[in-house]
Amino acid sequence: MNVIQAVKMYITKMTEESGPGMKVILMDKETTSIVSMVYSQSEILQKEVYLFERIDNQSKFDNMKHMKCIVYLRPTSENIALLSRELRCPKYGVYFIYFSNVISKADIKTLAECDEQEAVREVQEVFADYLAVDRHLFSFNIVGCLHGRSWNQQHLQRVSQGLLALLLSLKKRAIVRYEASSEPCARLAERVRDLLRRETVLIDNNIPFNGDVPSPQLLIIDRRDDPVTPLLNQWTYQAMVHELLTINNNRVSLAHLPDVHKDFKEVVLSSEQDEFYAKNLYSNFGEIGQTIKSLMEEFQRKAKSHQKVESIADMKNFVETYPLFKKMSGTVTKHVTVVGELSACVARHNLLEVSELEQEIACQSDHAKHLQRLKALIAKESVRDWDAAKLVALYALRYEKHAGNALPALLDALRARGGAAGGAGGGAAGGGAGGGAAGGEWVRAPVLALEWGGAHARAADLFGLQDAVKITQRLFKGLKGVENIYTQHTPLLKDTIEDLIKGKLRENLYPTLGGDDSSYGRRPQDIIVFVVGGVTYEESLCVHQINQAYPGVKVVLGGTTIHNSTSFMEEIKSAMQGVHRTHTRHIRNV
Amino acid sequence: MAAPNEDEILEGFLCPICKADLKSASQLTNHFESLHQEEQDVLKSLKDIFGKAKKIILNNEDSDLKETFDRALKFNSQEYYPSEEQVIGVSRCSTDYFKGVRSARLERYATETNKLLIRLDKLVCNMPSEPNQRKVHEQEVVPWLDGSSVKLCPNCAKAFNLTRRKHHCRLCGSILCHDCSVFLDINVAKSIVDPSLPQALTQSDQEVTEKNGLRLCEHCFNLIELRKQIQDSRNAKTVLVTAYEQMRSLMDQARPAVAMYEKMCQSLFDGETTYNLSDVNALRGRIGKLAEGIDLLSKQIASFPVDPGTRQAKLQNSIRQAAAHFIKEELLSLRKLPTEAQIDEVRRERYERAQKQVQMERERMERERDWRGEEAGASGSRVDNNPEVDDNNPLIEQMNIIRGYIKEARKELKFEEVAILEANLKELKKEYQLQMLSNKS
Repeated sequence: MNVIQAVKMYITKMTEESGPGMKVILMDKETTSIVSMVYSQSEILQKEVYLFERIDNQSKFDNMKHMKCIVYLRPTSENIALLSRELRCPKYGVYFIYFSNVISKADIKTLAECDEQEAVREVQEVFADYLAVDRHLFSFNIVGCLHGRSWNQQHLQRVSQGLLALLLSLKKRAIVRYEASSEPCARLAERVRDLLRRETVLIDNNIPFNGDVPSPQLLIIDRRDDPVTPLLNQWTYQAMVHELLTINNNRVSLAHLPDVHKDFKEVVLSSEQDEFYAKNLYSNFGEIGQTIKSLMEEFQRKAKSHQKVESIADMKNFVETYPLFKKMSGTVTKHVTVVGELSACVARHNLLEVSELEQEIACQSDHAKHLQRLKALIAKESVRDWDAAKLVALYALRYEKHAGNALPALLDALRARGGAAGGAGGGAAGGGAGGGAAGGEWVRAPVLALEWGGAHARAADLFGLQDAVKITQRLFKGLKGVENIYTQHTPLLKDTIEDLIKGKLRENLYPTLGGDDSSYGRRPQDIIVFVVGGVTYEESLCVHQINQAYPGVKVVLGGTTIHNSTSFMEEIKSAMQGVHRTHTRHIRNV
Repeated sequence: MAAPNEDEILEGFLCPICKADLKSASQLTNHFESLHQEEQDVLKSLKDIFGKAKKIILNNEDSDLKETFDRALKFNSQEYYPSEEQVIGVSRCSTDYFKGVRSARLERYATETNKLLIRLDKLVCNMPSEPNQRKVHEQEVVPWLDGSSVKLCPNCAKAFNLTRRKHHCRLCGSILCHDCSVFLDINVAKSIVDPSLPQALTQSDQEVTEKNGLRLCEHCFNLIELRKQIQDSRNAKTVLVTAYEQMRSLMDQARPAVAMYEKMCQSLFDGETTYNLSDVNALRGRIGKLAEGIDLLSKQIASFPVDPGTRQAKLQNSIRQAAAHFIKEELLSLRKLPTEAQIDEVRRERYERAQKQVQMERERMERERDWRGEEAGASGSRVDNNPEVDDNNPLIEQMNIIRGYIKEARKELKFEEVAILEANLKELKKEYQLQMLSNKS
């Protein structure tokens, strides 16, 4: 199961079915992102696709009858209307129409009636209807999928259609399981089942039924089970870039940096097109620094030894002998810029110290010590307001039921800090990591997080407080000491997936839709986990490791979006809109 | 004389199991992997030896750099979990349904349009220029509706009077007012009826009036206009398209040429004699020519005059960009050829090995001859060097013909053929040798 490949093959099919000739691809906003995640500009140019047009941006009429038009759209009613208009006065010679999801007969009829010039050659449904971020990771780029704790209907529709497309593109007949305690998960699971039922014929005709292997499983779980992971600072390359600089559709904006080279105003970080990135996206910050350093040194050494050569022939020879050299020089400079900015952020905002405390709060248990260090950090001016608020939020979640809970006092400290510093610490924060939040807003963040994801909301035992085995594990860990204090935390998702792989995920907590009990206890080999409320790159790394550790098992992870702490806070805010505080009523100083 | 074939010393990349000579280290390893799977520990030692040898041979700082690159760049497949081959996902085709709906709808139009076209043809053919005669002619072709009972324009529902007079559509004969009528340029009409006529130059500055145009109702005009557009798009083959198609055909030629080049290059490095250096150089030259051609055409495409900022301009730029990328990635990154000296080196080794075998063969035959005391015939192995010796042999004739073919194919740079022919030639030589041997015995 490789989602990038699945989407890419659909796109390739589109470009090839139209035969030779100059092509233009006509897309909407979402399909543009879908294509850009799997195909680079130069790659698609080689497929004779020379123009990229948006259907909602039909500025000027020019006659382009010599071109073939590949239409790739989501089947929304606006798109149908726009496409009808396009077909009435076609700008291009012939049209090959592909919809990214199921389209109704009525809509096809509408389009057919508009095609008076007989320009349409092909009408198909392909199921590339999600953003393939990595081989095992997909997303829908929806921040704030819930509104006041229940689904925004539009988003529910989008996500359920997307999951249907995912199953069809991977050719999997999956059974659907969901987290019973979560209302949104149940809604989504039902919706997906309904869509699957409607397409029974299509599925039966195209996906062979294999009774020998356990059915693939689609597990739908809720972000609320683990509010801790998105709050932590990360130290692996990909996750770190997202937390500090924000990755959007594999693109990172560096435009805010002073004196950045014009080529690097926006850099593309895609594991499919950038081998260095593919190799290092899960390396930790220290390792990647080392790798880049040694590469640079080799470069300089090499360049020096060749500075002597004067003749053009010698230089040409050099480049010919080292095609890698040419290829690398661009890539390496790009990553040097990115890594440079990351390390500047780390130093500027005391992130090492912050992260150490974050990890300890998340993984260890020592209230008095943690409280003391937390207070000390809040008092420090170089620590960003947003980091301080995150720490308090972690504390609030971790020690929610602790007898000595000092959350109100910490909130006071936060507010005092806001008044004094006036956001000075967060002003220049990279990638807008909460720097712009108005004074009072981030003081509310810990309380919101607690109300949203406190103990009352979580189905699983996030901190391992009830399970005797986990308590002893924690104890032993404390005795042994940890290998790396910045990477102690493992996401809850790991336990959930491992339980599922071993067939131990409890049926009463994660029931199968339709009450199909026969699958219970069988160990699935193909697993798709979808997190309502978004996933993180740390969890993506964890799924990557699981895929390596369990041969034969393939896990694909997806979420409504991919979060860093900032977008996660947005998600919480949207979910808590209009909801009265019931579990945190006792906290009055907000 | 000692018996050399009992104790002969073989040289080369020999397989330790079946004693075959595999010519190169990589081929030997491959051969071993595929045929002698059971002796995997031998394979491992083989690999170790080659690895060490390579290190010693290539032990200079270049390899350091390469290793650093490899470490940083090459994706170790074991590092990543094995990804099974992804098959293309489900898709559903609705084209038939679409076309069904469309043709049902278009059929109604089609009959009507055809009727109109026939009328149009009659109208514009020998149309008198004098207004009154023209009116008569028009009414002959299309009977006009009797307007006496029509009080309002059927289109805009305004009352007819002195200032708003009744008019007739020249194609369907219906009544309409001046504001609701559209005019079709007669020249355009002629070109619709007879597509072989040169396209009427669209004189946009000159307004089409009753004099140089046909008065039509909107409905008829739309049907005719639609037909015209379809006609236009069918023969819309501009300079751009022609240049583009030329460029693509060059690209299509370049791809197999590059593949062939790689193959030939490898063959040279392996010391085979199928191709010679001049062949490969010629092919390299041809690829260069193709690259030049593509470059030129794409530049030409990019420089076609367009308004800046339009789609057309973007298109031309993109084509140029794609062509440049293609040339850079596919055509200019060709492998360097071995030098004459390198080739000679590799060939000499091969030749010596072959000579040794020939020598042994000859000695053995001489011994046999001594035994029988026969005196006839030249030595079998020399025959293929001077084929004139025995012109009557049909095999020799064949071989000469093939040599001729090879020469021709070389001239035309058809190296696929050269390879096939060379292989044939070799077979023939072998056959011939066998024949000679059997003759002697």
